[in-house]
Amino acid sequence: MEWIKHGQIFNPLDHQLPNGAKYYAQSPQTLVFKDFIRIYFSTRVVDDKGKYLSNIVFVDMDNNLSKILRVSDKAVITLGDLGCFDEHGIFPMNILRVKDSVYGFTCGWSRRSSVSVETGIGVAVSHDDGLSFQRIGAGPVLTASLKEPCLVGDGFVKLIDNTFHMWYIFGTGWKRYSPQADPDRIYKIGHATSEDGLIWIKSESRQIIPDRLGPDECQALPSVIEIGAKYHMFFCYREPYNFRTEVGRGYRIGHAWSNDLEHWIRNDDDPHLERSDHGWDSEMQCYPHVFRHQSKIYLLYNGNEFGRYGFGLAELQLI
Amino acid sequence: MFSWKKLGIIFGPESSHRRDWFNEFAQAPSALLFDDYVRVYFSCRPQPDKEGKYVSYSAWVDLDRSDLTRVVKVAEKPILPLGGLGEFDEFGIYPVSVIRDESTILAYYGGWTRCESVPFNVAIGSAVSRDEGCSFQKLGNGPILSYSTDEPFILSGPKIRKFEDTWYLFYIAGKKWKIVDGHPEPVYRIRLATSDDGITWAKYNRDLIPCKVEEDEAQASPDVFFAEGKYHMFFCYRYSKYYRGSEYGYRIGYASSLNLFDWVRDDSKAGITVSEFGWDSEMISYPHLFAVDGVIYMAYLGNDVGRQGFGLAILEGKLE
Repeated sequence: MEWIKHGQIFNPLDHQLPNGAKYYAQSPQTLVFKDFIRIYFSTRVVDDKGKYLSNIVFVDMDNNLSKILRVSDKAVITLGDLGCFDEHGIFPMNILRVKDSVYGFTCGWSRRSSVSVETGIGVAVSHDDGLSFQRIGAGPVLTASLKEPCLVGDGFVKLIDNTFHMWYIFGTGWKRYSPQADPDRIYKIGHATSEDGLIWIKSESRQIIPDRLGPDECQALPSVIEIGAKYHMFFCYREPYNFRTEVGRGYRIGHAWSNDLEHWIRNDDDPHLERSDHGWDSEMQCYPHVFRHQSKIYLLYNGNEFGRYGFGLAELQLI
Repeated sequence: MFSWKKLGIIFGPESSHRRDWFNEFAQAPSALLFDDYVRVYFSCRPQPDKEGKYVSYSAWVDLDRSDLTRVVKVAEKPILPLGGLGEFDEFGIYPVSVIRDESTILAYYGGWTRCESVPFNVAIGSAVSRDEGCSFQKLGNGPILSYSTDEPFILSGPKIRKFEDTWYLFYIAGKKWKIVDGHPEPVYRIRLATSDDGITWAKYNRDLIPCKVEEDEAQASPDVFFAEGKYHMFFCYRYSKYYRGSEYGYRIGYASSLNLFDWVRDDSKAGITVSEFGWDSEMISYPHLFAVDGVIYMAYLGNDVGRQGFGLAILEGKLE
């Protein structure tokens, strides 16, 4: 398998985004319609504390993902109330059609004092084809638990044979890599199942994707697709510290495959998504989202600086 | 109305008991019976940090079984360490509730973390003791009961019970943070979860006790005790504003149930309230009932929610 890169397809600087957001279009996730593709992503605005708040908006693109049809004029979901898990941002939101509704699996952010943040996964439902979402409650459906002490987030959900499967990440802990450094977080990809998409059973702290960069490798944003008889997962992974500043330690795209949704074989090289020599994804590649449309398999992903300059597209060639 | 005879304050942070980690408060008493003594778990605080912020630890004091006003021994160290960086119990282990389970003793506790927009959040952890309750080991470094769709924050105040073969965890869950004079104040209600093994819990997802003093009443310390063919719950409640003073501060309420799920509140039966003078003259809170050699006691806190320690009262008559 091989990725054919089509380059950057959405640059936030070219558009008026809701709430005056300027840079960042992070973690693109699709809802496919007959005549267009709706791509949700997270924007960022700076609040009165000088910190970021992430909101979910969307862009509609044509079937070839070459033309922008519409950019939403407001966020599709409000941020959470005071003290709630999603008070300081929703990033990302995974989208799944369930009968006549559209479910949004949110990753909610709330700020902490000794570490920067804690996350949890919530559910919101849309009855207007994904224009607006209402959360089913003020709290999360998945959060820290006995063996997953922090940072449960990045849910990606698929309905397979009447069972909802969620791949998500859980924190194994925070670490200070040098005495003066801010704490850095480590997280791994896990798996949960559900009968209704609301009540989930986690396979508590079972890391399903082996590490490539050693035990402190950070793995994020799993995205799964069925190709032939196999399931393929794309995700991003990085070193645990100096990943923002040092090219080579930042996010890149990983890959694993499975026959049974239980056991995953990691193989980042087939297909391998190469970094560009220059331009928008020359330093970093992250937050992959894989989907099928009109018999093609596409990958949306972010480039440098965690998607500060938007997202791009690649197409899978089966060889 | 039940009749309680107050014995006064029993244990607190007097100089003879103080430790590095036990400088102030003796909060949220929870009793465990031994042959010669009653071990009362409590939560306490070392001196605050430079910013005036406290952490909480939990420990125990042994009271003479034949004279509960006599302190026999105080723990040399807390029963659990605080959690690691970024963990749910990094800044406090308070309160704690204990129960015997065959040869071990289990503890359920509120683990405190600190937040930016609100001062704190709490989730419930669990730990096990294999040395008769002297020290405990956490079952994991995450919580055993945490936030969910209908319980978005502050899961705290666990009270663990086992009736027949089912485990019951009574606790509180946050409803809202209410801004009072520019500061967020938490509103919470009494909730219930059940379990077959004490580890995997199913939440009942309902408020057990209706509000009395106001819509935003906060309720805590849901202490359930079985006697005379029914379940008795003593708890405490307060107003949402200005509750650190006498007028709107904690009082002890009462409810009863035949099935542990449906409760009838009737505070007029509680039979215990603030004293005219002294350590419990402004508020009375965190009730905990236990029976020793045929006598039913209530341990409870007074002014400033246990700053001076906890007291005891003896039930006169029956819980009918």
